[in-house]
Amino acid sequence: MKTRVVITSMGFVTSMGTTEHEIMNRFQTDTVGFRFEDDYQGVLVCPVPDFDVRQYTGRLKNRRYLNRGAGFCVSAAIMAAEEWKRSNRLLSHAGLFSGTGPNFDISEEFGEIIRGDRDHSSLQALWMLRFLPNTASSIISEILGIHGENATINTACSASLQAIGEAYRRIKDGYLETALAGGGDSRLSKGGILAYRKAKALLIGHGDPSTLYSTFDEKRDGFAPGEGGAYFVLEALSHAEKRNAPIIGEVCGFGCSLDGWSMTAPEPEGIWGEKAVLHALKEADLQPMDIDLVTSHGTGTLLNDQMEAALIHRIFSEKQPFVISLKSWIGHLAAACGAVETAITLLCMKNSFLPKIRNLKKPCAPDINLVLENHEEQTNLALIQSFGFGGQNSALVVRKWKK
Amino acid sequence: MNIFERVKQIVADILDIEEEEILSQTYLIRDLGAESIDLLELAVSLNAGFQIEIKDDDIFLRKLRRYLEEAKEKHLDQQAYLADQYPFLSASRIAEILRVLEGGPVLAIEDLVSYISYYQNK
Repeated sequence: MKTRVVITSMGFVTSMGTTEHEIMNRFQTDTVGFRFEDDYQGVLVCPVPDFDVRQYTGRLKNRRYLNRGAGFCVSAAIMAAEEWKRSNRLLSHAGLFSGTGPNFDISEEFGEIIRGDRDHSSLQALWMLRFLPNTASSIISEILGIHGENATINTACSASLQAIGEAYRRIKDGYLETALAGGGDSRLSKGGILAYRKAKALLIGHGDPSTLYSTFDEKRDGFAPGEGGAYFVLEALSHAEKRNAPIIGEVCGFGCSLDGWSMTAPEPEGIWGEKAVLHALKEADLQPMDIDLVTSHGTGTLLNDQMEAALIHRIFSEKQPFVISLKSWIGHLAAACGAVETAITLLCMKNSFLPKIRNLKKPCAPDINLVLENHEEQTNLALIQSFGFGGQNSALVVRKWKK
Repeated sequence: MNIFERVKQIVADILDIEEEEILSQTYLIRDLGAESIDLLELAVSLNAGFQIEIKDDDIFLRKLRRYLEEAKEKHLDQQAYLADQYPFLSASRIAEILRVLEGGPVLAIEDLVSYISYYQNK
């Protein structure tokens, strides 16, 4: 019999809060954290206010080697493992799967380079650790005592969803009984903003910051970068039942693919993205019409939303599921988006709630079921999609837990 | 700010501890649990903070036990031999180091301060 994989705990750090109560309250009161910052010249951003990784780690000298994104990884992982730490001693056998992004904060890290050289004295001896992709996992493993199979995944904006998918597969296929999986990222630095501004992917504007960012709108004009992280404890169902763990949801299927098309633009029809989604559905033993809810990648760039709307319309030709775009609430979390959006999707399903796509006035795709108003709605099966630079596609199917 | 205060600040920052936990006589490795990676960072920070060249082997007394062996082999007085190797340490401090050697790594905050003050004035 196929091993079922369940989620028994999750931890998340987002601009909307770090608890279920905070997030649901933000949805109800329509409160978001988008803002303009002096350093970013008109680029709309969505930071996590007053984030301090020490609140989560306590004293930890290796904290000096965490870049901001890695700090979100460690914080969310510690939160997710809280309950797990108390109730079982199998942490040492657990796996660890992290989706992380690059550190683009080059101006703060290195200062100014003058005539081909700079003052090296302010660099830490091991400054490279702030740039190595696996520093977050290394520190999480040290703090939590995790020693099992692991991987750090760097597939751009697809990374953290893929990390969850990899953990799910290792458990499903019997390599692990339990794993911690997720990711964290931040591109909110002068270097990070510069990178995406040069790529012409960012929303630039003025006025009331809460009203500007829309996805799937005819007038969409780029994404607003956010930051944060989320991790999940995944377990074989039998393992969770044996220790009477509270079950939040089930990971039913996963798929990923590569466009092989462009370094930044998605393949316009989403042929290969569709392949990832269909694989996830097949692995979940489900038909498209079983899916109630799609948590879209929905970035608000011209090309992504067009491709994604076409893909959704095609796959779900028999019955169009609800489509939400959580980025319109928290911004685009880069490598962390898949994990954080999975966490929020599970909260929405638990609360029988669907959040509107904010600021969406004129849908660019009238033939898919974009959620335009907050409303109560029972949903049981959700598909989460992430499509990253480099043509990285991933899709995850999760089910709300019912005994 | 005097040298001790500044060293205390740098060590506290690197080890993520409170400055109040650091006294002149506090042992860096024995008491504060500093590891080799921390000493690596400490050397870089002291170098930047005091604008002097920090020789890791000397300031952290890395070869202390080897010097003691050498003195023994050459039938020299250990105290005098160490004083030659570590001109920044006072005679009384060297005598103390020899007394507490059995208890583990002897490197103390005061040794860092002595090193910096000696080479700053040189």
